[in-house]
Parts: sequence; C-alpha cells; structure tokens
Amino acid sequence: MTSRLRSLFFGFALATFLAGCGANVRLEPPTIPEPLINSLPMTVAVRLPENFDHYVHQEEVLGREEWTIDLGASNAVFFTQLFKYMFDEVIVLEPGANPTDMAIDALIEPSIDAFEFSVPNQTKTDSFAVWIRYRIRVFDRDGDLVLDAPVSAYGKSLTTALGGDAALQRAAVLAMRDAAALMIMKFDEQTLFTSLADPSVQVPSLATGSDEEAAVSATALGGKDE
Amino acid sequence: MSDALLRVGAAIAALVMLSGCVTSRVENSREGLTGIGEGESVVIMAKSYHLGNETEAKYISCIENALGRGSSGLRVIPHKQFVDSLFPWFEPRTAPAETKGLTKLMERPGVADKIREQGVRYIIWLDGDTEKVAGGGSLSCAAGPGGGGCFGFAWWQNDADYDAFVWDLQGLESAGSVSADFSGTSFLPALVVPIPLIARTQAAACKGLADQLRAFIVSDELT
Repeated sequence: MTSRLRSLFFGFALATFLAGCGANVRLEPPTIPEPLINSLPMTVAVRLPENFDHYVHQEEVLGREEWTIDLGASNAVFFTQLFKYMFDEVIVLEPGANPTDMAIDALIEPSIDAFEFSVPNQTKTDSFAVWIRYRIRVFDRDGDLVLDAPVSAYGKSLTTALGGDAALQRAAVLAMRDAAALMIMKFDEQTLFTSLADPSVQVPSLATGSDEEAAVSATALGGKDE
Repeated sequence: MSDALLRVGAAIAALVMLSGCVTSRVENSREGLTGIGEGESVVIMAKSYHLGNETEAKYISCIENALGRGSSGLRVIPHKQFVDSLFPWFEPRTAPAETKGLTKLMERPGVADKIREQGVRYIIWLDGDTEKVAGGGSLSCAAGPGGGGCFGFAWWQNDADYDAFVWDLQGLESAGSVSADFSGTSFLPALVVPIPLIARTQAAACKGLADQLRAFIVSDELT
C-alpha cells in the first residue's frame, strides 16, 4: 500500500514537472464569419496541399519548454471557407485530380511557407503571438502562373485565466483571420481575378517567375520574403 | 479570550480598509456635441495590436458591463459580435485608425446596413493597459513536517492608464476622448500567515472610465 502511495506521489510530481515544461495545443478548425464583400463572378479550382489536413508545428523555447501546436485540418477548412465566400463557384480538387479539362477561370494553390509562435517566457510579456506565412499561387485557365506571393499574417492574444493553451489557440485563429482580411483586401484591389475572368481586361504586371517579380507581388500582398 | 478576538478583528478590519488605496485622475476632452437616442447603442473596441496596443480583453469586458449596468445603462453591443458582423473590416489590420477612414468604410458593401441594423451610434476605442511599475520587499515561506508559514513583507505598485476615443458614426467624426490614470499600491505582510492587501487598480480604472464615458455620451454640454 505504501509503495503504491509512493508511486502515485512520484507520478503526480513527474506529471506536475512535465506540465511546467511545455504544452500540446490542438486547434479546432476555425469558422470565419461571412465577409461583407461582393463575391467575384468566377469559377476557381483550389488545390490544397496534403499537410493542410494535418499540420503540426513543434518549437523548443529557450532550450527548456517544448510547445507543440496541432492545427489539424484548420488550414483546409479555413481556405475552403474563405474561397467559397470570395468566388461564386469553388471546386476543391481531390488529390491527383487534373484541372486542365475543367471549365475554370483560375487555379489557386495555397501553401504554408513558415509558421512561428512566441510564448510569454520568450517575450517577457503576457502575450502569445503567432506568425503564419502562407504562399498563394494562382494559375490562369491555360495553366500559366500569374501570381506567386506570400501572405504574412499575425495574431496576438494575452494570457487569460483560461491559461496559455487557450491564448495560443486564440492567437492562431487571429492570425488566420488576419490572413483572410489581407487576401480579401488585396485580391480585390489587384483586379487580377477580374482579368482572369475576362482576359480582355489588362492588369499591371503581377506575373512572376523571377525573384524581382516575386518581390513585387510580395509587397502587393503585404508580406515579403526573408 | 473575547478581548483577543476583538483585537484580531479590529486589526483585520483596519488592514482591509487600507487595501482600498488607489489614486485616480479622470479627464475628458470634448470635440463635439454628443447624446444618445432610444435604440442607439455603443460598441467598445481595443485599438489594434498592430499599433502596439495591449489593452486586456477582460478590461474591455469590464467596460462593456459597467456601461450597460443600471437603469441609466447604455445599450452596449458586444465587441466580438460587432467585429464578426462586419468581417473583415474591423480586424486589427483593417480597422480604420482615424475617423477620416470612416467614409470609405461606409461605402463598402453591407457595412452601413450592418451598423444601422445594430443601432451603433458610437464606437469607443480603448488604448492602454495596466502594468506593474514598481515593487519591493522580501517574503519567504517554508514548510516542514510540523507545519509551515511565511515571514516578510512585499509590496508592488500597478498603474492603469487608459484612453477612450469616442467616434460618432452619425457624423462620421470624433466626439472627443476620456482618459483615466489610476495608480494603486498593494501590500503583502506575512507573519506565519500572509495577509494580502490588494489594490484593485484595474477594477477602479474600469469603473472610473465607464462612469465618465457614460456621462460624456449622455451629456450634450461642451466642457
């Protein structure tokens, strides 16, 4: 009985010690509100990368804490929702599907370039922050790349009585909302998509390929390659 | 025995009375006439963290509750509901930083209708935070098989500085601002048992700012 109590005590002490050394945070897919925009009269196909269904990021903080954030299918859900609000018709491609025979105006390929976060220990503040750099590639109906630009999003949330997990989740959701706001604002301004729906509309050079052109596109979407 | 109890009771009462030591200054600056009609509401927002603002979510909730409380309470739209209903135009990145951005915002599809539906007359932007600015003393605690206890004295000072900028959505202009500077010092003496004498600086700043904001909005006097 005594040895069982001792094991229980040491188990509890170990669990308490480990709990102080980081955390595993799982993000439930966020729901973004319906944006107040006029959707673009286009049919687009969206190809989501495999890791959008299960994205896990791990970070060691100051050599002591290990934080893991599991975004699960959040990115897949987020981009599907967003594009359905932005365009009249959206086809989410199955893995291996070939869009060349489809009657679409554009193909969009989002991906994640980088994901980072900071915890209060690092910044000596009470806040958690999340940075996500997405990359958006857009192809026209002939399959030519017309846009290749990063979208740099940021979310910050203060630690609350609910603890660090909730604050980190909140910061990640805010970063995704920030990305959505940026894409809605800039895609609208670029008129790139208008030209894809109607090729007779001329658009200033957003085509990419060279680093210089990519930098131009990057600036246009509020982010930059580092 | 009863004398000793009485003395302990009196000491505790004195310490509790000491715990309320918070100094305050609340000021307002009016730029135009205000007033609020039947069915009109206000919304409390934090200035964007993209601009370096750190206003705590619980402070915003506190102001929302304090403004809406009582028979003279204002109709307050929860900020999350407001931000979601106008997505993405009040996100930290996209929200207008100045009143001159309001005209363009109102021209966006659906924005003016959503604001009208909710009866929002004023947007109140909060800027500022509560932070520990000083502290000192020493306190140590120990525990052993026979029991435990603490000995020492610690203190710390919190400053709560907040500004509230009031935008009138009827005229699409600034109505003015209210600022609240509160400072409170907390003490923690310990003689076996620690006795926390906490100055509720942020709560006091919440009540002070909310009272002044309510008076600012309801009154139409130029001050």
